[in-house]
Amino acid sequence: MINNKFLTIIFIYLLCSISKAHAYLDPGTGSIILQAILGFIAAAAATVSIYWEKFKSIINKVLKRDTKDNKDITKD
Amino acid sequence: MIDEKGSFRDPAGKIYYENNRIFRKLTTLGVERFSKLKESNIISKSIQKGFLIETKEIEDNEKNNKDLILEHEKIPYISYPYEWSFSQLKDAAIFHLDFHLFLLENDATLIDASAYNIQFIGSKLKFIDVLSIQKYTEGELWAGHKQFCENFLNPLILKSKKGVKFNNWFKGNLEGIETNELNNLLNIFDKLSYNIFVHVYLLNKLEEKYRSRKSLKPIAKNNKKISKKSLMAILSQLRKFIIGLHDYKSISTWDDYSTNNSYSSEDKNNKKDCVTQFCKKNNFELIADLGCNDGEYSILSLENGCKKVIGFDFDINVINKAYKNSNIGNLHFLPLYLDATNPSANIGWYQKERKGFLERANFNAIIALAFEHHLAIAKNIPLNDVVSWLVSLAPTGLIEFVPKEDETIKKMLEFKGDIFPEYTEENFEKYLLRNSKIISKSKVSSSGRTIYEYKR
Repeated sequence: MINNKFLTIIFIYLLCSISKAHAYLDPGTGSIILQAILGFIAAAAATVSIYWEKFKSIINKVLKRDTKDNKDITKD
Repeated sequence: MIDEKGSFRDPAGKIYYENNRIFRKLTTLGVERFSKLKESNIISKSIQKGFLIETKEIEDNEKNNKDLILEHEKIPYISYPYEWSFSQLKDAAIFHLDFHLFLLENDATLIDASAYNIQFIGSKLKFIDVLSIQKYTEGELWAGHKQFCENFLNPLILKSKKGVKFNNWFKGNLEGIETNELNNLLNIFDKLSYNIFVHVYLLNKLEEKYRSRKSLKPIAKNNKKISKKSLMAILSQLRKFIIGLHDYKSISTWDDYSTNNSYSSEDKNNKKDCVTQFCKKNNFELIADLGCNDGEYSILSLENGCKKVIGFDFDINVINKAYKNSNIGNLHFLPLYLDATNPSANIGWYQKERKGFLERANFNAIIALAFEHHLAIAKNIPLNDVVSWLVSLAPTGLIEFVPKEDETIKKMLEFKGDIFPEYTEENFEKYLLRNSKIISKSKVSSSGRTIYEYKR
């Protein structure tokens, strides 16, 4: 389902950049690496959502202006 | 003073019991962790919000030392995740995530994700392990992720997607359902779900890669962090996914028992009268309803003076229904899964980590209506053993005897044949008198069903 080479690259990259967890519970290497991937996805999603919100606000502004114009026309 | 043998995994503290009260003695590590939380009032905030069990600091004057000791509110009956239905485990998982999100908002976090740290008080959930909470450090990973998957997520997926009851599997493996085992059972269509793909397939794949690594060189190096925002996003995504999981529908024998049974309305009223009178005259603190079905008689007991009821049934579908009824009425009624012929045993380290059914039987009374014949006839347990086991559970109670003339038993013996010559009411009475006194007996049906009140 997922390309093995791609997974290996992510695995090796993340393996070299993991901090020691000072906890009584062993979180498990797989879980640590997965969270690093998910953290990256979540951060990317958050960035995308910021731009999406900006885009939506621009669209809304345009639409609001249109609506206002329409209302003004109706009033006239 | 009795030490809790199951309280050893986290070296920050240990639970012990004294005079029917529950205490937690904190080690230096625990004091350090707890003091930081006290500064930010997170413990009191968590109690106020209803997440955390009532906890107060006490001074250990008796021993005249400076140990930090906490006292916790007593849980009426400790239950384990393998005794919960799908809905109960699902609610516990959502509760756990909600609590973690609440803590993160308040600059604290959970260091584990054990389902055993959540307990039911009636239909309400409480987090019981105060030392699982610690001050949040920016960038730290979710230490309990793997445990959350094994304790909550995997059992829920197993039941929801495959219709496999998680209870007996969970009971056999204290830490829940392992990710690689679940991954082997799921098909490609199941794995198309983002959360299953990530938390089951991908997690398993990464773990497999790590297992096949030959090097013993430590993997910990620089500081790889995950932002709080990302962590909260992962928790929220999981929460949303779990809310969307539904129980796999399967029809069980007892699904519609409370509406489709062999009782006439007069028989039913007789039975209700017996339970009502028994509860009214005793005002029990805690009773067990064996074979509780959807909780009809448990709720009747609560309406007539009992303060708390723990219901038991071996049909997981009816436990779900009973839990729903308890939730609707906000009742002190906790239904749990129990196969009386193979009840929860002492398991875990030293066989003392999680206690068995008998070891936790602290009931003031039992009601066992239309129950004994499921052991004596359906499971071939000798009648004498059935009676002595029931009487051993509580000092007093109601036991319904179902005679062979009853339609239910006729059906049970249809193919089996009557291989139980000793199964007679006369013998039932004889065995009951060996173990207790008979306070009263009431015939409740035209087929000869009789409810006995016993007292040890």
